[in-house]
Amino acid sequence: MLIITRRPGEKIMLGDDTVIEVIEVSGSSVRIGIDAPRSLPVYREEIWRSVKEENAAAASADPDVLPDDLPVTK
Amino acid sequence: MAVTLNSTRFGEVEIPEEAVIEFPHGLIGLGGNRYTLLARSDDAAFVWLHSLDDPALALPLTNPWRFFDSYEVEIADDEASRLGIESTEDTAVYVTVRAAESLEDFSANLRAPILVSNGLGHQVINQAPDAPVRAPLFPANVEERAA
Repeated sequence: MLIITRRPGEKIMLGDDTVIEVIEVSGSSVRIGIDAPRSLPVYREEIWRSVKEENAAAASADPDVLPDDLPVTK
Repeated sequence: MAVTLNSTRFGEVEIPEEAVIEFPHGLIGLGGNRYTLLARSDDAAFVWLHSLDDPALALPLTNPWRFFDSYEVEIADDEASRLGIESTEDTAVYVTVRAAESLEDFSANLRAPILVSNGLGHQVINQAPDAPVRAPLFPANVEERAA
């Protein structure tokens, strides 16, 4: 992993189009600004990971365990 | 031009061109850019989002409002414009389903709904506060079975 020291207001370029800026450091929190092309989705890693896990779990489904037509139980 | 899907789950299925959904960014962690929706009937509780590139890749989805009356999807305006979603009326909303041996272990991912609009699909992160990644689909069944 590349490790770079930056101060608030300083930026990092990922390629020509994606800018990561350290906005503010306060205690153990860092506020980061990300300016990325519209085609590049940006996620918080823990959310990305949990969604990735759910997608993988969903994709392992066997059609036989899914009820065909459920009565709506409301 | 129709596409022939040779699904490991469902066998050979002809997919008309207009039923192909492009996912420019794939599904989170799964990739794949071309999918289609398969259903056993028009009012089936679950539909399958099936990859057209991987014959073994398919996820069951459901209409969230079928199970969660008060479900809301919130995405930021700039995110909506990034995705090319202009109105909610012509956008279909689905959530992925985690299936299990018993119904009480079924859950839906309310945090990352799949939006389909004009032949384009996106899995988005829902900003609404009450949107768990694993929302039980059949909580009532737990009581029924215990009784």
